[in-house]
Amino acid sequence: MPTDFLLSAIVLTPGVVGLLLLVTPREAARLQRWVSLLASLLTLVLAAVAWSRFDPANASFQLVEARTWLPSVGIGYRLGMDGISLVLVLLTALLQPIVFISSWRSIHDKVKGYVVAMLLLETGVLGAFLATDLFLFYVFWELMLVPMYFIIGVWGGERRIYAAVKFVLFTLAGSLLMLVAIIYLSFVFHAQTGTWSFAYEDMLRAAVPMGQGFWHSPQMLLFAAFALAFAIKVPIFPLHTWLPDAHTEAPTGGSIILAGVLLKLGTYGLLRFNRPLFPEAWHRATPLFLTLAVIGIVYGALVAWAQKDMKKLVAYSSVTHMGFIVLGLFAGTVTSTQGALLQMVNHGLSTGALFLLVGVVYDRRHTRMIEDFGGLAAVMPLYTGAFLIATLSSIGLPGLNGFVGEFLILTGAFPRHPAFVAVAATGVVLGAVYMLSLVRRVFWNPLAIEANRSLPDLTWREALAFAPLAFFMVWIGVHPGTFLSLSETAVRRLIGG
Amino acid sequence: MNPSDLAAVAPELLLVVMGAVLVLADAFVPALRPRFGAVAGASAVAAAILRWTGPLPGAVWSGALVVDPLARFVDSYILAAVVLVAVIAGPYLARTAASYGEFYGLLLFSAVGAMVLAKADSLLVVFIGLELLSISLYVLNAFHRDSGVSLEAGWKYLVVGAFASALLLFGIALLYGATGTFSLAATARVVAERPLAGNPLVLAGLALALAGFGFKLALVPFHAWAPDVYQGSPTPVTAFLSVVPKGAMLVTLARVVAALAPQALTPKWLPLLATIAVASQVLGNLVAIAQRDVKRMLAYSGIAHMGYALVGVVAFGFDGLVGVLVYLAAYTVMNIAAFAVVSAFSESEDEPHLITDLAGQGWRRPFLSFTLALAMFSLAGIPPTVGFVAKFLVFRAAVNQGLAWLAVVGVLASFVSVFFYVRVVYYLYMKPLPQRAPAYLEPWPVRVAAGACALAIVGLGIFPSWLLNAAETAAKTLLR
Repeated sequence: MPTDFLLSAIVLTPGVVGLLLLVTPREAARLQRWVSLLASLLTLVLAAVAWSRFDPANASFQLVEARTWLPSVGIGYRLGMDGISLVLVLLTALLQPIVFISSWRSIHDKVKGYVVAMLLLETGVLGAFLATDLFLFYVFWELMLVPMYFIIGVWGGERRIYAAVKFVLFTLAGSLLMLVAIIYLSFVFHAQTGTWSFAYEDMLRAAVPMGQGFWHSPQMLLFAAFALAFAIKVPIFPLHTWLPDAHTEAPTGGSIILAGVLLKLGTYGLLRFNRPLFPEAWHRATPLFLTLAVIGIVYGALVAWAQKDMKKLVAYSSVTHMGFIVLGLFAGTVTSTQGALLQMVNHGLSTGALFLLVGVVYDRRHTRMIEDFGGLAAVMPLYTGAFLIATLSSIGLPGLNGFVGEFLILTGAFPRHPAFVAVAATGVVLGAVYMLSLVRRVFWNPLAIEANRSLPDLTWREALAFAPLAFFMVWIGVHPGTFLSLSETAVRRLIGG
Repeated sequence: MNPSDLAAVAPELLLVVMGAVLVLADAFVPALRPRFGAVAGASAVAAAILRWTGPLPGAVWSGALVVDPLARFVDSYILAAVVLVAVIAGPYLARTAASYGEFYGLLLFSAVGAMVLAKADSLLVVFIGLELLSISLYVLNAFHRDSGVSLEAGWKYLVVGAFASALLLFGIALLYGATGTFSLAATARVVAERPLAGNPLVLAGLALALAGFGFKLALVPFHAWAPDVYQGSPTPVTAFLSVVPKGAMLVTLARVVAALAPQALTPKWLPLLATIAVASQVLGNLVAIAQRDVKRMLAYSGIAHMGYALVGVVAFGFDGLVGVLVYLAAYTVMNIAAFAVVSAFSESEDEPHLITDLAGQGWRRPFLSFTLALAMFSLAGIPPTVGFVAKFLVFRAAVNQGLAWLAVVGVLASFVSVFFYVRVVYYLYMKPLPQRAPAYLEPWPVRVAAGACALAIVGLGIFPSWLLNAAETAAKTLLR
C-alpha cells in the first residue's frame, strides 16, 4: 500500500465497512459482529503500520495526504499525523475492538444498527484526530454526533432519551459557534494573504488581531468560540452536566468510547487549535482555565465519592481526570503538556477498563448500585483482580500508567502555578478515597446478597477485552518513554517550548 | 421573433405542449391515465436535456427573458423537483382516489411558470411567470376536491396569493410610472440617475414588490399562510410547493438586487432584508418546535430555511449568490426527500400527519425511515450532508462581507432547529412501534425517489464540488 493513502485507509476503513454492513439482512447478527470486529482490528493494524513508519524526530505532519475538495473556497481533503495525533489514533484503534468484544453478548437487539453506528463513530473520531484542514476537521467532529446520539438513544438505559438529546444539544451548542469561528479565521487569512484556505498549516500563519477587551478582540472571540466547543466536550466544569447522564445511560460500549476517546477530542482541540492559533488569548485565558480545572478536579472527586451507582461514580471520576489534563495543558510547559497528552491515553485506558468491568457485573445482575454488591472477591477472583488493576491505574499507583501522567502534569505545572498544583494534588488523594472505598464496598464487604453468591467469574471473552488494556497500563507505567518520545517534538513545536 | 428565440425556450415549449396533451388525453383517452406520471416525468427529463444541450444566448425575446447559466441552474432543480414529484404522486393519487389527469398537466404548467419567473428580465414577465405558477398551484392545492382541509388550503393560497400578486402588480405599476420601462436593466439605469431617497415612487414600488416576493417566499412577516397550506395540500403538491416557487422567486429577487446594484440599496434595504432573514429564522424555528404535525413543522422549517437563503442575498456578491444557489438546490433535495417519506407514511389524508405516528417506523420500514432521518439531519445542517454545505456557504458569504453577526444568529437559529429535527429521528428510532400495523406499503417508485434524494443529500454533501462549480458558473453571469 502506498504511504500516501495510509491515513485515508485508517480513517475510512471503519466507516466504509459500516456502510457496507448497512445492506446486510437484519438477521445476520453473527456476520455483522464478526465483520465489525475484523474491520476494527484491521484499522488497528493500519494504525500500527502508521506507527512503524512514523519518525518521532520530525515535528511536522507526516504521511500527509492533500487532495483538492472545494478549491475555490480553499477547502482541501488534508490529512496528516504528528506525534500527538499518532498517540490518540493508537488509543482509538485499540479501544474499538475492545468495544466490539465487550458488547458481543450484551447487545443482542438491533445488532446491525449498533455496529454500524460504532464504525461510523470510529471514522469520525479518527478523522478528527488526523484532519489538517479546519473544514474537514469540523465535518469529522460533527460526524461523531449522530452515531453517538443513536448509541445512547437506542441501546441506552432507562433515561436514554433525555441523555441522548442532552448530549446532542450540548455538543452542538459549542460546535456551531466554532463553525463561524473557522469561517472567520479563513476570512482573516484571506485578508492578510489574498488566498482562500482552510488548511491548518495556513491558519497557523494567520495572525488574528488581538484588539481591545473581549468583545472588540477578534482573537479573544475566536478563542472563546473554539474553547467553548472543546470545553463542552472535555468537559470542563461547569459545562460537564451532560457527561454523567450520557455516560450512565449509554450502553457499556458507548461509555467506553465516550470516556475513552470522545472526551479526548476536547483536550486535543484545545492543544491543537486554541494554543497555537490564538497564543495571546490563550495566555490571557490561562488563569480562568486553571481555576476551572482545579475546581473540576476537586468537585468531580467529591461528587464521585457521594455516588451510589458505580457507573455514575466512574463518570464523575472522568471530570476529575479531565481536570488534570486541562491543568497540564494550560500550565503550558513541555513537561506538563506531555503529561496531559499521556494522561489522555491513561484516562482512556483506565476509565475504559472501569466502564468495561462495571458492564460485566451489570450484564449479570442488571444493577449498578454499589449497595447491591459486596464480597465479590470471594466469588469472582479474576474479576476482582482486573478491577483492582484498573482502580490502581486510575488512582495513579506508581508502576502503572496513571501515576506517570499525573506526576508529569503536577511537576510540570508546579514551577509556574504552585497554588493550583497544591489544590490539584488533593484531587489525587480524593481519587484514592472514592475509588478504594468503591472497591471495599463492592469486593470486600460481607457477601450479604444471595444473588451474588452464584455470579460467574470473567468469561474468556471479557478477559480478552480487558487484557490489552492491562497490558498497556503496565507498559506505560513501566516505560512511558515509548509513548512520550513519540509526541515530544510535536508538542515542542506546538507550544514553542 | 426569430428562430433562435424559439430554440432558447424549447424546454418551456415542450412542457407546455406536453401539459396540454395530458389534460386533453385525460378527457379523451382516460384509459391511459396510469401512464400520465411517467409521461410527465419523461417530459421533464427531456426538457432538462434540451436545456443542457441547447444554446444559452442570454437575452431573448427582445429582452423579456434571459436564458443564461443561472437560468439553466434553476431549471435543473425545478425539473428535478418535477420528476421526483411525478414519481411520488402516482401511487399517492391512486391511494387517495384522486387520479385525475389534470394533476400532471397542472404540474407541468406550474413548472413552466417557475422557469419563466426565474428567467424574467422584465417586470411584466415576472408577473406572468408568477401567475402561471400560482394559478396552477391553487388548483393543485385543492386537488382533493372532497376534502375540506385540501379545499381550505387551496382557498387560503388563492386569497393570500392573489393579495401578494396584487401587491406585486401595484409595485410594478409604480415602478413603471417612475421609470417608463418594465426592463430590469433600464429600471436600474433610471434608479442610478436619481438616488432612491429622492424618488418616492420607485421606493414605494420596490417596497410593494418586495412584499409580494415575501409572500411567495413565506418570509416573516408574510408567512402566515404557509402552515395551513402545507398541511392541507396533497403531500406531493406540498413537496413541490415548498421548493419550486421559492426557488424561482428567490432567484428573481437576486436578479432584481443584482440589476439595481447593491450599492444603491445598501443604506436602507440590506438592513431591511437582513431583518427579514433573521426574523424568519428565529420565528420559523421557534414555532416549529411547538408543531405536532410533520407537514406544519416542515412549513415552519421552510420559513426558517428561506431566512437562511436570504442571508446569501443580503451578503450578495459572488459568494452570496453561490451560497443562495447551492442552498436552493440543497433545499430541493432534502425537502422533497422529507415529503416523499411523509407521503409514503401517511395512511389517510383526512388525518393529520402527526410526528407521534412515526413511532418505531425506523425498524419496520428501514429504508424510508433512513431517508427521512437523513433529510432531517440535512435540514438541521449536520455534516456530511448537502444541507451543511449550503449553510456553510451562506454563512461564509455573510462573514466575508463583514456580516459575521448574521452568521452567528444563523447558527444559533439552527441550534434551535436541531431540537425539532432530531425529535423526528427520536420518534422513528427510539420509540416503540405501536401495535397497529401500517395498512399501506409504498410501491417501488416511491423508494426510488426517496433513494435518489438520499443519495443526493449524502453525495452532494461529501462531493459538493460539482454543485459548487455549477453554482459558480451561474453566479458569474449575474455579476457580469
